[in-house]
Amino acid sequence: MKFLGLSGFIGCALGLALGVGFSAPAHSANFVIGEHTPLSGKLARVGTGSHRGVMTGIKVLNDKYAGQHTFELKTIDDESSPAKAVSAVEKLASEGVIAFSGGYASGVIGPASEAANKANIPYITFGGVATALSQRGHEGFFRINSAAGYGKALVGLVDEMALKSVSIAYSNKEATHKMAGYIEKKLNEKGLKVSTHEYDAHVKDFKSIVNKIKLRDRSEAIVMVGYESEYVGILRAAKLLKPDVKAMIGVWSLATGKMAKEFPDLMENVYGTAMLPFPVSFNSPKQKLFYEAFKTNFKDEPSYLEQFGYVQTRLLGEAIVRAFDKNELNLKGIADELRKTDEETISGRVRFDEHGDNPEFVQRVGQHQKGKIPLVWPASSKTGEKVFPGTPWQ
Amino acid sequence: MELTAQAIFTGLLMGGFYGLVAVGLALVFGTMKVINLAHGELVLLAAYIAYAVESQTGINPLLAMPIAMAVVIAASLITFYLTNKIKKDRELNSLILTFGLGIVLTNGLLMVFSADIYSTQSAWFMEGLVIADSLFSMRSEMLAFVVGLCALGGLYWWLNHTWHGRAIRSVSSNRDAAKLMGMNPTKAELWSWAIAGVLAALAGVMLYVTSVIHPPIGHSLTIKAFIITVLAGMGSIPGVLVGALMIGVIEGLTTTFFQSSLSELASMTVFLLVLLVMPSGLFGKKAGH
Repeated sequence: MKFLGLSGFIGCALGLALGVGFSAPAHSANFVIGEHTPLSGKLARVGTGSHRGVMTGIKVLNDKYAGQHTFELKTIDDESSPAKAVSAVEKLASEGVIAFSGGYASGVIGPASEAANKANIPYITFGGVATALSQRGHEGFFRINSAAGYGKALVGLVDEMALKSVSIAYSNKEATHKMAGYIEKKLNEKGLKVSTHEYDAHVKDFKSIVNKIKLRDRSEAIVMVGYESEYVGILRAAKLLKPDVKAMIGVWSLATGKMAKEFPDLMENVYGTAMLPFPVSFNSPKQKLFYEAFKTNFKDEPSYLEQFGYVQTRLLGEAIVRAFDKNELNLKGIADELRKTDEETISGRVRFDEHGDNPEFVQRVGQHQKGKIPLVWPASSKTGEKVFPGTPWQ
Repeated sequence: MELTAQAIFTGLLMGGFYGLVAVGLALVFGTMKVINLAHGELVLLAAYIAYAVESQTGINPLLAMPIAMAVVIAASLITFYLTNKIKKDRELNSLILTFGLGIVLTNGLLMVFSADIYSTQSAWFMEGLVIADSLFSMRSEMLAFVVGLCALGGLYWWLNHTWHGRAIRSVSSNRDAAKLMGMNPTKAELWSWAIAGVLAALAGVMLYVTSVIHPPIGHSLTIKAFIITVLAGMGSIPGVLVGALMIGVIEGLTTTFFQSSLSELASMTVFLLVLLVMPSGLFGKKAGH
């Protein structure tokens, strides 16, 4: 027994020495990244855009590390359902993914990233802006954007317009509800009269809401915090009822080339947050790298969804490689490397604070003008002058 | 006053459209006691056909109606064929079957048309109509309302004044007795599914010209139609009209005087209250009669 014990000890010691202490550093690896995203269900439109960005990120990483490392993406459609997103994360974790890139909507990302945290796998996203997501103390949760970034842009624009009253029409979903609350609070602090109108996601006719704004609120601008189909409904109702407002302003998914193309009669003079103008010209080497990779894969024009999906995936990939080089390919190692990130990306500067949020994130605002969307706020990013006052019916 | 009038007007217009969506479901429910949980998806299928025709040819989406009807009737008859294959507990198992078919249709539309949102490009439908200087609607909403009323009126007339219509009513009333009288119940049921397909196609094209379409909305259309069907009383066409207008007006008033996000809650509360007082629905026959 003693002899066996001694030989066992020696064997273990040799094994450890060969495996860790004296082994040559590994030079190549296949990194498997997991993604759950809504490719069907009510969030399919945004989920598909995000997925295309993540795929572009994987392609660029594979091109960069060709012959050295490979990146593999495993994707599961979470069908816009929190329960299915959790199942997807658990399944992907059991299949050995080392990190997650993806997810859309705070209500889905919350439980899904919780499952990733339990499995000790880092999770990076842009799809959920609820503040609570980054306040849970998860070491491995990272987000390249934030509600505050969108909110600051809208409040900044309204401030610049010197308006005295604003009506906010917002969807009762978690992220939009919180965003509307943030904007209301900030505008109230600036002394503006703010009226709010919450609506359900199933509402198809917005005439009653717009009529209330027209006859009761008599505000100078309407701020919309919702999603594409709702913006179209609100703008149609507004075009019909013609409230006496000076501006129609929305958050995400509004100042996009797709909206300009699909609904030209509704979009003229409408404001929305945007990272880049439309049509976009990708001039810097980083922008060109993304654009060419995206065009090769999809033969389409990228929107902000693809840009964000790409940025988060590429930053994650770089952090994985650095962690691997340090033999720290685990939650802590990858999270540490992500926390060291400080880079000017195609979506602006990204660095992460102690909560995993990007404090540098500030959105810009674009305005639909004759089929184009120049950036009109902030002054430092302007590519055009805003038409103010201006609405689709003026 | 202006707000109230607009709220009621908007509610009536919405109600007319809801009635158009619900009446096909009510007809099949009345005839076969089958709740077609894929009905909203059939409506959506017609809307996508209107989109495809408009985007490919540039013609008025209303001209897509014959194609939409042909496709949706075929889909409706396939659903009938599959439902008819169920030999045991048809009322219950057909729920599962049609729910599954709805998922297949939604995902089929997603694969073919992507998750993007679409609406008609024709500005004519979005032009405003102003009544008495204070009531506003889009042309398309008024059109959908009129089409809804005509469809319900036409169906009511057809069921009461034609041989096929009477056959459907007799099968709905007592299938075995209708069979003993020499009628072919399966044929009558097939007719009701085909007519439901026509109504779904009408509703779908109206949906496309009045609103925005994207794949997930079929399910919410089914739910709205189901609520109206139950509220109306089994298979009652006047009940569908009254129930749909009631739901529309309640939603309009709730949005105006409270919050839009409470409109579904308000209509569901009224729905439950009506069923509490009238368990067979607004125009349903009492049990035992």
